[in-house]
Amino acid sequence: MIQRRIIVFILLFASFSLVYSSIAYYALSKPPAQEFMAWGVFSPSGTLSNYFSGSEANVTSGKSFDWHFAITNRMGSIQYVQIVYRLGNSTSSSPNATASADSVPQLGNSSTFIPNARTALVNFTWSFTKKPVPGGSVYIDMTINGQQVSPSVSAVAGQKFRFFFELWTYDVALNSFQYGYRGQNSRVGVPLQVWFNVV
Amino acid sequence: MRFRLMALLGVLMLCVSPFSLSREQAYGQSAQVDNARTALLQAFALVQEADLQGASLSQISQLADSLNLALHYEENATGLGSAIDANRSLQLSNATAVQALSVSNAARTQSVFDQASAYSLAVVAGFGSALSVLEVHRFNNIVRKIRMRRIRLE
Repeated sequence: MIQRRIIVFILLFASFSLVYSSIAYYALSKPPAQEFMAWGVFSPSGTLSNYFSGSEANVTSGKSFDWHFAITNRMGSIQYVQIVYRLGNSTSSSPNATASADSVPQLGNSSTFIPNARTALVNFTWSFTKKPVPGGSVYIDMTINGQQVSPSVSAVAGQKFRFFFELWTYDVALNSFQYGYRGQNSRVGVPLQVWFNVV
Repeated sequence: MRFRLMALLGVLMLCVSPFSLSREQAYGQSAQVDNARTALLQAFALVQEADLQGASLSQISQLADSLNLALHYEENATGLGSAIDANRSLQLSNATAVQALSVSNAARTQSVFDQASAYSLAVVAGFGSALSVLEVHRFNNIVRKIRMRRIRLE
């Protein structure tokens, strides 16, 4: 009789422990969440439009523009982020979800560390001076965040220049910056671009 | 003749020495910037490890602020060739790395403690529940006795 009671007790104890341990495991586990990074380039008015304080994308030489990037980290851990700036024209190959625009000359970059679930702001202040050359092409000399650069890209009559902005994240295992952020199966590129005409 | 040759050699050495000195200085600065860069990346790896171990957001934010300041110094050192900034960046990165290590260890210990507490509680609750089910008739008897006593008193 006692032996039977002991067996029943052991069975009940094991069953209850299993149920309660499952509850404990569920409570201790991190809730599943899709990891991502989101970002945008903002005009001085804090909007994702109206970058040139006019309806058109015509910009005059010598004028300074104070833009900023807002980057949100939802990767589950702190990230070392680098924004790469490039200048292209209408025929340049654009960066996409899988590849950066390596063929387009880089103007510079800015880096920052962003904790998880936080948004970082990175300034992007730029101006340019026009350098017309015979044949109708226009080159520009630029000042970006105080650094002077002379891109090797030109545009016919100064029309359809475009900025490419690429987000790169530092991969500790690979010991280098990698294009985009680490997705579920592969890296995800999230490039931005802004068109402008030089007048 | 010999004196002239010596004088010429002396003048030549005087002219060359500033170049070699500046090259050595530049090499030294470049090495300092490289060291600062390496220290910054190591500190970042440790902070990320602490984050993955479950350190709190406020602790990680504080470490991120230090990393951003070290990065600012490192960028100044690279852009302006400032050895002082390279040194500042190196020191701050090293201090952040030490802090990150301590935060990581504390987070790991806390995580182990939380798990041990939760599973211990599950086992104790399992024991209590099994005992309750097995001895439920005793409780019923006690309740019945109390009720009977009340009825008698009335």
